Amino acid sequence: MVAETLFAVRRNARLYRRSLGAVVRAVLEYVADFWILIAAGIVTQSLGLVFLSVVMSRVPHLNGWSYPEMVLIYGLAGVSSGIVPVLSDGIWQLASFIHNGQLDYALTRPAPPLMQVMSAWVGFNGVGDLVASAAMLTWALTRVDVHWTPLNVLILLILMISGIALRLAMCVVANTVSFWLRMPMPMFAMTAWQVGELARYPLGIYGFGLRFLLGAAAPFAFAGFFPAAWLLDRGGYAWLGILTPVVAVLWWIFAVWLFRRGLRRYDSAGH
Amino acid sequence: MKPYRTMARNSMQSTFAFRTAFLMAAVAACFQLVATVALWSALLSNGGSIGGFTLPEMKAYLLMGYVTGWLGNAIGEWVLANRIRDGQVALDLVKPIETQKMMFAQTLGGLPMELIMIVTVGAGFVLVAGPMPGPSNIPLLMLSLVFVMPIRFCIAFLTTQLVFWTQNFHGVSWARNAVGAVLSGSLVPLSLMPTWLQTTAAVLPFASLTSTPALIYLGKVSTPTAYLLIGVQAFWVVALWFLARVAFRAASRQVTVHGG
Repeated sequence: MVAETLFAVRRNARLYRRSLGAVVRAVLEYVADFWILIAAGIVTQSLGLVFLSVVMSRVPHLNGWSYPEMVLIYGLAGVSSGIVPVLSDGIWQLASFIHNGQLDYALTRPAPPLMQVMSAWVGFNGVGDLVASAAMLTWALTRVDVHWTPLNVLILLILMISGIALRLAMCVVANTVSFWLRMPMPMFAMTAWQVGELARYPLGIYGFGLRFLLGAAAPFAFAGFFPAAWLLDRGGYAWLGILTPVVAVLWWIFAVWLFRRGLRRYDSAGH
Repeated sequence: MKPYRTMARNSMQSTFAFRTAFLMAAVAACFQLVATVALWSALLSNGGSIGGFTLPEMKAYLLMGYVTGWLGNAIGEWVLANRIRDGQVALDLVKPIETQKMMFAQTLGGLPMELIMIVTVGAGFVLVAGPMPGPSNIPLLMLSLVFVMPIRFCIAFLTTQLVFWTQNFHGVSWARNAVGAVLSGSLVPLSLMPTWLQTTAAVLPFASLTSTPALIYLGKVSTPTAYLLIGVQAFWVVALWFLARVAFRAASRQVTVHGG
């Protein structure tokens, strides 16, 4: 049983890699496009940095957070959202697959349909997002007041990986809603993504409604703010950061369950 | 004139056909506005000001950022980008009408939907986020708002032409939007920015999109300066219109009719 599961996991991981590899080769046919997308990712990510540096050159603290700490939150959230286009940009095409009845193709092949959809495209803008966010994160990590030990480096890495997994799961959920919404464009997921961008600032600045939304209902805060709060040991929020892996696992269970429910609704007729 | 009117009417109808998409966009915009207000409220919580902007003024500035952000934005540049990409633009080129004017007519057709978005979300914002100062000079504000749509159209039309060379418009559009957000003053008022960015913004058309109407709304510029800024807007409309026209003539030689 264990051996079989392990075999299936390895097989799917290999398929995922090969599927993404095929897309990468296709995209690299157009070298200019590749560079344009990476540049676009870098420029877009730098927007927040421009905002923070302009504003925080005049106000030293925002809600008790210093400039390097704000950049840390911004960079952490940027890294977890930047991986989504690289690993699962295909999920954004789910709405159009359903609309055109194109999901049939994935259903006839011997690999999990969700995996096939996720790996159907690679968004190279994500590479640009990652480059810019990683630069911000590195800059911030060398400036914030943290007593580094091997243990908290390890935990930070686990929290970051969990944050990435959480963002992936949330992106799957937001796009899976397309099974019910019947629109050729993933409008719901686009809105959700924009809401997620709000979690790149300290949660404390928001009122109850947004705090509830970003911390609990659609917990984007676990993909950046809470882990940062844990690292900086900010009372009130720090202990929540350590829960990130749990939240990520729960959201993946929800995502897979919802996708299966959605598939049952899929009638391949298009609309 | 008639073909253009028909184009405008068709594109207006298409915005109403896709009303769910606009409803979603309105929801996203509401979140965005609430969050930005929260951010500025936290920054200005001591009742002070940043770069001469108090919290109520900043709220009015954000309102103008929202309003000007919609003008000329409902009918995406994607319409043309996709036509160039799949080669259909060849058909536009043989028609006895100008592609640029046709696209402008389509952009105009988006105006009713844009006004609905502006009035509904804008009114909600004023009521919920208030208090904020009202417009200091309504005629001048209206005049400067009139120029926003043509300028945005010309910038979009110019950048869309890059699709004649690249297959991917996402990247071009994202990068331009990001640069535009900084240089138009919609991200933060230009007066807060470092001098080199202010100088860059002063020689580019983006500031005419948001900064000019917002400063006129708040009365941050004297009346003569306001007239000057509106003159600059008018200059950009004319200059960009002809630049886009010349560029399109050159670019359309690149057309790949089999699609790319």
